[in-house]
Amino acid sequence: MAADTHLEKETEQIQDIWNGGTEPMKASYGKLMMWYFILSDAFTFASFLIMYAALRVSSEVWPDPNAVFNSFPFLHGTKLPLGFVTVMTFILILSSVFVVRAVQEGHRMNQKGVLVWMFLGILGGLGFLGCQAWEWNHLIHQGMTFTSNPFGHYTVPEVVDGQTVDVFKGYVNLVHDHETGEFNLPADGKDNKGNVIPENATKHTGTYLFGCLFFFITGFHGFHVTTGVLLNIMIWIQSARGVYQRSGNYEMVEKVGLYWHFVDLVWVFVFLAFYLL
Amino acid sequence: MAAGHNDNAAYEKQKRAVWVATIIMGVVTIAEVAIALNWPESWGRGVLNLLFILMSAVKAVFIVGEFMHLRYEMRAMMISILAPCLFLIWFLIAFMMEGQSWLALREFWN
Repeated sequence: MAADTHLEKETEQIQDIWNGGTEPMKASYGKLMMWYFILSDAFTFASFLIMYAALRVSSEVWPDPNAVFNSFPFLHGTKLPLGFVTVMTFILILSSVFVVRAVQEGHRMNQKGVLVWMFLGILGGLGFLGCQAWEWNHLIHQGMTFTSNPFGHYTVPEVVDGQTVDVFKGYVNLVHDHETGEFNLPADGKDNKGNVIPENATKHTGTYLFGCLFFFITGFHGFHVTTGVLLNIMIWIQSARGVYQRSGNYEMVEKVGLYWHFVDLVWVFVFLAFYLL
Repeated sequence: MAAGHNDNAAYEKQKRAVWVATIIMGVVTIAEVAIALNWPESWGRGVLNLLFILMSAVKAVFIVGEFMHLRYEMRAMMISILAPCLFLIWFLIAFMMEGQSWLALREFWN
């Protein structure tokens, strides 16, 4: 008799756990699942970046990021290596911070605070996308696509052990001729370091893998940013309509915020892989 | 909404923590770019790359720990999210080795 009631009680407890409403790790179901989605998405991004590492290691030459990413909007002709991408990084970090502030105001049930900070976060996201669109447009204009890469190098024939071989001499950004589609040596006859390219040099375009990986991985990240901005806008509208005020918590802001920070986190590694290393 | 004195103090503390994290990340990013542009070629890429990876790791810790608030979650939750990421270390090493082998093959057949 006593054993039976004990068993019943235990069954009831187990059922309670499986009936929902409990928070095993003091995080709600939605928040926990957002975390696990982010974990799986992190593996997707990691796969792409590790593929990038493998292909880059397998290439004999790879463009120097300082010579590739050196343009700035409205400053034509001025070379600012990594200048624009630093601005983009700051925009994304700040946008992330604004969303953190929105989450904090949400915890205090401060609707106005959520709306203001979330709005700034959305602006940051749109700003980042605009910058990325400019950068892509600029690179494509320079002749970087999935199949071509103007950031090449040149070789000079030299006699080594009685044999004439082409020896790598330096990197040079080739100039894309939009009419013929050809990539030519720069008009001033100098390579990226300012050395004069000899007459007998042979030009080589860079590996097409660079463009492939760059557009694919930054594109996939940009797609995430776009989704994040759309989610943030949805959350902003819901907050403005007072949905969360009525339901008594702003957890939705927190969940979407997690995704937004993840987008920022991925950018840290994209920045590392493409612009720094 | 009855925000007690303790709630308010905690809120101010959290707010400060986030801005501190922001400033640290900004400084790290500026340092990364400054180092990338001023690194003498004779010092080699090895140390430079290691430096970049470490600095990016610092930024990642702040984003995941502070912004995503994982530092303040339960230990079990932290482990369940961070431990699977350890697999990525071997994933990276294995594929870098694979890439080197592709390079060797390419040079061999040329």
